Amino acid sequence: MTTRHPTAPTAAPQNAQDSTPPARPGEQPPATSTARTPRQLWTRTRGLLIAAAILLIAAVAIALVRSEAAHGRLDPRSADPGGSRAVAHLLADRGVSTRVVTTTAEARDAAGPDTTVLVASPDLLTDRQQAQLHAATTDSGGRTVLIAPGTPSLGTLAPHVTADPAPSLDALARPGCTLSAARRAGDAETGGRRYATYPADADTCYRSESLPTLLRLPEAKGGDTVLIGAPDILLNDRLDEHGNASLALQLLGSRPHLVWYLPSLSDDARATDSERRSFFDLLPSGWLWGTLQLFVAAVLAAFWRGRRLGRLVPERLPVAIRASEAVEGRARLYRKANARDRAASALRTATRTRLAPLIGVPPSQAHTPETLLPALTAALHTPGQDPRPLLFGPPPANDAALTALADQLDALEREVRHS
Amino acid sequence: MALTGRTALLAALGSLPVGIWEPSWTGILAVNTPLALACACDFALAAPVRRLRLTRSGDTAVRLGDSADVTLTVTNPSRRPLRAQLRDAWPPSSWLPGTEFEASRHRVTIPPGERRRITTRLLPTRRGDRKADRVTIRSSGPLGLFTRQGSHDVPWTVRVLPPFHSRKHLPSKLARLRELDGRTSVLTRGEGTEFDSLREYVPGDDTRSIDWRATARQSTLAVRTWRPERDRHILIVLDTGRTSAGRVGDAPRLDASMDAALLLGALASRAGDRVDLLAYDRRIRALVQGRAAGELLPALVNAMAPLEPELVETDARGLTAAALRTAPRRSLVVLLTSLDAAPVEEGLLPVLSRLTKRHTVLVASVADPTIAEMAGSRGNTEAVYDAAAAAQAQAERHRTAELLIRRGVTVIDATPNDLAPALADAYLALKAAGRL
Repeated sequence: MTTRHPTAPTAAPQNAQDSTPPARPGEQPPATSTARTPRQLWTRTRGLLIAAAILLIAAVAIALVRSEAAHGRLDPRSADPGGSRAVAHLLADRGVSTRVVTTTAEARDAAGPDTTVLVASPDLLTDRQQAQLHAATTDSGGRTVLIAPGTPSLGTLAPHVTADPAPSLDALARPGCTLSAARRAGDAETGGRRYATYPADADTCYRSESLPTLLRLPEAKGGDTVLIGAPDILLNDRLDEHGNASLALQLLGSRPHLVWYLPSLSDDARATDSERRSFFDLLPSGWLWGTLQLFVAAVLAAFWRGRRLGRLVPERLPVAIRASEAVEGRARLYRKANARDRAASALRTATRTRLAPLIGVPPSQAHTPETLLPALTAALHTPGQDPRPLLFGPPPANDAALTALADQLDALEREVRHS
Repeated sequence: MALTGRTALLAALGSLPVGIWEPSWTGILAVNTPLALACACDFALAAPVRRLRLTRSGDTAVRLGDSADVTLTVTNPSRRPLRAQLRDAWPPSSWLPGTEFEASRHRVTIPPGERRRITTRLLPTRRGDRKADRVTIRSSGPLGLFTRQGSHDVPWTVRVLPPFHSRKHLPSKLARLRELDGRTSVLTRGEGTEFDSLREYVPGDDTRSIDWRATARQSTLAVRTWRPERDRHILIVLDTGRTSAGRVGDAPRLDASMDAALLLGALASRAGDRVDLLAYDRRIRALVQGRAAGELLPALVNAMAPLEPELVETDARGLTAAALRTAPRRSLVVLLTSLDAAPVEEGLLPVLSRLTKRHTVLVASVADPTIAEMAGSRGNTEAVYDAAAAAQAQAERHRTAELLIRRGVTVIDATPNDLAPALADAYLALKAAGRL
């Protein structure tokens, strides 16, 4: 299909003449490219770009304005209203060192008789982590402080304690117990979760509507576990209210070291990864990385195959109706309605029309028996045959009779033609 | 911009070193960074598509069934050689089904500053205008890893003309025409005849044609002879309404009508008559008027090429009015339409008298051989019902034709293959009888 200019040496001048580059602009055909010029592209997309820019700026602005909320909640390094830097600072003044840990393993390792372990959100821990933590802290002889533990964590971390489903209405509560720390502190904002059942030897303080919001459960080797119904007493902006600061310092300052455990997502992943080895861990890494590279190749192949060489060309197609469709439809209708009478009369009429000129009857009288039949009888060689029932008879009784009628009409016509 | 299979293959092969020697991000980067760099180089070295200059030349018209060559001249003004895949896109019916892929794609290599000609061969399967779509060029770099792709709009139209299959009948019909001309044919004077000569009376001649004045000057009886008049007008009217869309065989009725019209046009223009063409459904679709004999056939073919059947009922009143406007003088009006009962009885019959008053009218219609076949089918119940329905249809058609004939119209009802010669014969018969 492709014809090229001959490249043989004899055709060199021709080629040279052909290869007139843009030196002579008059001979240049007009540009036909459909690709957009950069200017057109800019005109087309600038609206979208401006909209995207506005959206981005708005998003950044909103993020900046709202970034203070709930950032570093209960984090002893955070100075936000929801952080706990003030407590950590006050504890440091009293010679208590605070260390932040984010994994269960670290918290477990840090547990000891001279250590307080604070679990900031025990409900976020998985069952496995809770079990590990509980095993490490029960017999350590140190103190474990759980901040607002709920049903998900109580079962493992503080067995025999259950939380009441209804939280307390009022944050502020009175000590009302013999625990020295509570008595010294006075009123504090511990209202939040309330604990319905607890062991008999537990100290129950700060009752809200008869259920305690602070529990101290004594453990082996002089250790204990403290459950606080709400984190408010540790927060920067609530610390100076009522007896919050006093209660917090006494609860957390009973040992020289404070380990502040903030559960994190990465910790969870590592904890499960180390325990359960998945299918992918068992594969040699070469296979995995090789497959990744194959995936890259597959994406490239998809781009290769996905690019079409030019657009599809549409075409207006002509209608395709068979001219005989109406007749075929009528035949099906006859059949469906068992219209033997109509079919028979059509066949008989057609035969009569064809017979009339053969036997010398004018076409206008082809369908009157009085004219047609005598002429027909005269034309037939076999006497005694009466064509009347065939040509003018009643409609056939069944389909077989109709088929037979058609054949007989054909036979009659043949006979007349040959006579 | 587009990737090639080679890039994907190299990336796939890259999974071996990654898997065997360096199963890490480093390995992935070590394989993919050089690949990306090679692609970038390839892209930079590929000849730009936007700056190519394209022009077309070649055939603008082709008879249906023949092939047309359209040449595309591609100039590469850049300093980089062009190695490209080129697609010259045309509507699908420009090629035989299944061959369009190979026919539209070309490989082309053009050194810097030179030009090459690429020929696309079209083999259209339908009548009408074929407009070229875009030319898409995929220019690849020296490594064949990455390509630039772009399109150019280079307009070109190839008109696919009616095939005029019936031209094979033309020699025999022309021979009959010459016979007709050579014979001092008619002794009776009629409309559309002109005085030819006087000759001696031979027994058997019509006594009414004796010219007594000439006889008085001579000693023998002289008779006048007449011959068909030349320079008559013929108006061919194509009905492009819904009835022309029905397919007989594998072509619409309209195509068979066109074939017949072309044969009649060719014959009549040789006979010295003037032929006009009108195509009409609810408005005038094509009109050829007042062409000299030499340029008539090209004009007819050109006017017919883009005609398509419209799925609307033909406006018979408008058609008659347009025909009367086109043929103000006495003419032979050849109406190529259908003999279906409803359109004729409701549309044509009420307005036919306006045409017959001034003109000789000939109605030609394409019959469907399938129906004749159905009428003869026997054997089982289904076949007999088919036969009955076909007989009914034939009877209706016959009755419609009778109605027309009773109004002085000549009617031709023939299958597509027979229509053109039948129409030519009818024309010759009318001419011989001096009824034009």
